[in-house]
Amino acid sequence: MTSIGTGYDLTNSVFSPDGRNFQVEYAVKAVENGGTSIGIKCKDGVVLAVEKIITSKLLKPGANNRIATIDRHIGTACNSEHDGRHFEKRARDEASSWRTIYKSPISTADLASRMGQYLQAYTLYSSVRPFGITAIIAGWDSESEIPVDSEVGSGPDTGSGGKAEGKTYGGPGLYMIEPSGSYWGYYGAATGKGRQTAKAELEKLDLSAGTLSLLDGVNEAAKIIYLAHADNKDKDFELEMTWISNLNGPTKGRHEHVPKNILEEAERIAKRALDGEDDDDDSKSEDVKMEG
Amino acid sequence: MFRNNYDNDSVTFSPQGRIFQVEYASEAVKQGSVVVGIVSKTHAVLVVLKRNAEELSSYQKKIIAVDEHLGLALAGLASDARVLSNIMRTQCSTSRLTFDRAIPLSRIVSSIGSRAQSNTQNYGRRPYGVGLLIAGVDESGPHLFEFQPSGMTQEMLACAIGARSQMARTYLERNVESFADCNREDLIKHGLQALKESLTQDKELAIENTSVGVVGMGSGSKIEVFKLYDGIEVKQWIDLVSDKPNITEAVETMEIDS
Repeated sequence: MTSIGTGYDLTNSVFSPDGRNFQVEYAVKAVENGGTSIGIKCKDGVVLAVEKIITSKLLKPGANNRIATIDRHIGTACNSEHDGRHFEKRARDEASSWRTIYKSPISTADLASRMGQYLQAYTLYSSVRPFGITAIIAGWDSESEIPVDSEVGSGPDTGSGGKAEGKTYGGPGLYMIEPSGSYWGYYGAATGKGRQTAKAELEKLDLSAGTLSLLDGVNEAAKIIYLAHADNKDKDFELEMTWISNLNGPTKGRHEHVPKNILEEAERIAKRALDGEDDDDDSKSEDVKMEG
Repeated sequence: MFRNNYDNDSVTFSPQGRIFQVEYASEAVKQGSVVVGIVSKTHAVLVVLKRNAEELSSYQKKIIAVDEHLGLALAGLASDARVLSNIMRTQCSTSRLTFDRAIPLSRIVSSIGSRAQSNTQNYGRRPYGVGLLIAGVDESGPHLFEFQPSGMTQEMLACAIGARSQMARTYLERNVESFADCNREDLIKHGLQALKESLTQDKELAIENTSVGVVGMGSGSKIEVFKLYDGIEVKQWIDLVSDKPNITEAVETMEIDS
């Protein structure tokens, strides 16, 4: 940040003497103050959850969704409304063109790659500005083996035309893309104001073991958003949550909003967990009173 | 000359991640006269305060009918609103021609949102300097949306934008619980009341400076088409909210009528 005022941070695509692009770093600042959003990769699906800060009581409850469906099997959470919409439109175009060309749904990894390229292109020119978003992409890729023309039945177990007996493909996918265009795959991803708290909680879940079930993932996600909100208590918020399961799961491989009853149950558990940490003694004394 | 180095164009982030040109554009919205929108289970209304440049001039139009099922109220640069409303009209008729269907509100609103967003990410253009309240009905009922120059759009239960609109918003926040079950007339009355809160000392609501736009569910499969009420047509409602007559009586007559 010492380079503020030296002139290297006034234009996009300009390298500073130490090789940085300050406009991209400033775009990250725009993201850091947004509502928290997280993604959790589970054994049999993926969960997305966002904290929607209620800026006014005139806002319509339940409307103004922040998680978008890109293709039937892919959802994204962007923490900036306006740039997010641009991102979503491009992602839908990519998914649709993939379907046109390859006659199959785009994989989560391929979509993340395409969108990474797109965001990177907005760091190349001084005539545009970088995206002020960090996008979480979640999807479920079909596990069924789709025969392709070049498939030979037996042969090398990697590379074109290869086929391995009993190997399943696809599964859950979770990626996070930054304004610079860089992206990684994640077991659990978090961005926005409460990302530090959320990351710490995600790390406790031992997601890399791949044992967390989708339903537990939903409950954990709700808990984490409630916990991350605790630092920002003066503002009300609404929890928005979507999930994607495998073909045999509750969403049949599609990206959908978590049904109301499951969402409410998860919120109840989250609130209880949060209260339990704060005032354990209070609830105990109440119990005693009730018995008396 | 410039407030800082980072406000020359809309493609430059400030070190805090702000885009000043977009923020300045929303200042233009605050210069426009106040507009109010409210939605109930059956209707969506827009109520606006019009301004005249001088004694002898006409009052600037603030409500634009876009299609049978929707209209908008503007605060800020009227010419920018004309550009946006023309785009919306084109899209409405495209939807009717190709799909034989009135375009859903959320879709047309997010499409102008995207348009506004692109003006904030590419060099050589400026953000739109206008805020809109878009009211309409579609298959999922009545809706009210707010649009801001940043490209942000939100669905609201009620909303006020423009100069001194904070007072109107406070009124709306105090009464927001009652709006859902209001009938058409009560909704308009609430709108005018909110508008009154934002008036300067020397101003009063009059037939010259007030416009009302109403759209509703109608009866059966027919909707109540978006209609703009101007001039003498708004007298009935202005009289209702003028300070003198007692309001409870007016409410009672309304209920008997409906």
